Amino acid sequence: MSVESRGLTDRLGAGAWYGYVALVALFFLIPLFSLVIASFYDGRFFSIVDYEFSLDWYRAALSSGSIRSAFMNTVRISVPVTILSTIIGTGGAIAYTRYEFPWQERFKLLALLPIFFPLILLGLGMSMWASVIGLGYGILPSIVGELVWISPIVMFVVSITALGIDPNVEEAARDLGADTITMYRRITLPLIKDGVVSGAIFAFVLSWNNYYIVSYLSGAQSTITTWIHGRMTQGFTPVVPAVASLIFYVSLLLVVAAFLVEFREELG
Amino acid sequence: MSTIDALRGRIGETAESDNPLVALVRPPYILLLPLAILLLVMFVGPMIAIVLFSVQPANSISLNPAVWTFEHYTEILGGMASGQGVYGDVLVNTAAVSAVTTVATLVFSYPAAYALARKIDRYKTVFLLVLIIPLFTSVNIRVFGWALFLVKNGVLDSIVSLFGVSNYPTMMYQRWTIILGTTYVYMPFMLFPIYLSLLSVEDETIAAARDLGATRWTLFRKIILPLSKPGVIIGSLFVFILSLGADVEAQILGGGSIFTMASNINYSFGYSQNWPLGSAQAVGLLIITLVCGVIILRTINLKEIASRGDS
Repeated sequence: MSVESRGLTDRLGAGAWYGYVALVALFFLIPLFSLVIASFYDGRFFSIVDYEFSLDWYRAALSSGSIRSAFMNTVRISVPVTILSTIIGTGGAIAYTRYEFPWQERFKLLALLPIFFPLILLGLGMSMWASVIGLGYGILPSIVGELVWISPIVMFVVSITALGIDPNVEEAARDLGADTITMYRRITLPLIKDGVVSGAIFAFVLSWNNYYIVSYLSGAQSTITTWIHGRMTQGFTPVVPAVASLIFYVSLLLVVAAFLVEFREELG
Repeated sequence: MSTIDALRGRIGETAESDNPLVALVRPPYILLLPLAILLLVMFVGPMIAIVLFSVQPANSISLNPAVWTFEHYTEILGGMASGQGVYGDVLVNTAAVSAVTTVATLVFSYPAAYALARKIDRYKTVFLLVLIIPLFTSVNIRVFGWALFLVKNGVLDSIVSLFGVSNYPTMMYQRWTIILGTTYVYMPFMLFPIYLSLLSVEDETIAAARDLGATRWTLFRKIILPLSKPGVIIGSLFVFILSLGADVEAQILGGGSIFTMASNINYSFGYSQNWPLGSAQAVGLLIITLVCGVIILRTINLKEIASRGDS
């Protein structure tokens, strides 16, 4: 094979790989595109030919009382979940990655297991349990329920960052006479900061979008995801794509932000 | 010098932590205690509740240790064995949906993961971002987006009508529509583990194999495939268990025409208010999830993932 033709096949090969990944990316974006296109469309039956741009459904969504209260309930759940799961998950990650203690692997097994559970299983188990232990249903039980799933995810994200740090750094700080608090404040936390920030953003976005757990635990309170689900199964109106799009825009912005934090150095 | 200091430090620590209660308020215990307590109370507890409720008489909403029964298990397992009633169908549907989803996500993810890990350099971060965004969008919203795309007078309809195609069979409420939905929703859980495992294949290994005269096929079979095996195993188990719990996909895209285990469990809890019957069905799901979850966590090495993120 001559050098030239190899260069050509290589380039064709590289093009094929790019093409395939682009196709997968397109597949991943189809429903999100459809949603956004539909949310701006003025009318019930969709058509690209006589597409009429309209913001009416967004206006209707923002002025509806029931939608606004569902939004508020979601915020009331997501904000505490973000703060608490970031603290709980970061604590677990520091303990697991920076210390040695008996039953360490068992702790990891318990702490990360909820990530792999189908949410419907977590939701229904917790809904029965909430009734047995008298926790009840509403905003608070939803917060506790989401913490069970999201704190392990934060722990996972922070652990990956924390494992990349040289353990000798902390030992050096101790040798230089730093007490525990000083060590955390000056050494450990600054080093894992990026992991904690992206963990917190992921925590908020996952809580913001959560459906299964809140649908089992929120009781009479409707959150934005349960509202959307209810309207999808019965009583569809063109407001639904607009509401779903609003949820999606918030998630999109935050995930891009988390990505910029993670890949800051690479992007230069 | 520092070894002696470390030893001295350790002696000091053991002396201070003689009292186990004092040890609990020091790191690492103070750090891991909130998570451990949260999970013991709100994760282990609920899972035990599922098991306990599954042996309670029909329609009970509280636990009564004095009365217990296996009637739900006999009903479900009997139904599955005889193929009569809904349970035979549920078993076949669920197994089929999960198995096909696992194979489909594997087949479609592998080349993409391979390309991202080894072939693509420019725009790689952009592609990764696009692939990760659906993971952080509510499952409701993604499934709803597919419905808007596929439904009659939807987005797809208006695109193909540009080419003069107007009569084609309906896309919604079919068996394969559910599989499209589950493949879409769970594909990231296959793609990213494989991607991470392929990042560990070193260029030197490939170059060495090439120098020794390995063909592309040998290279793939002897080096790339074995090295990506952990990713394939983790991804497959992950997708399999998560798609067993697929409910919204079946409900919205399947239109309730096809019952899966998750939708049946949900039905028992929601409409018929029969917690024990729903729990008995959930126990099967729970056992499969526990086994697969433990296998995944024993295969995952966090340290390795951390070191790969840097490369």
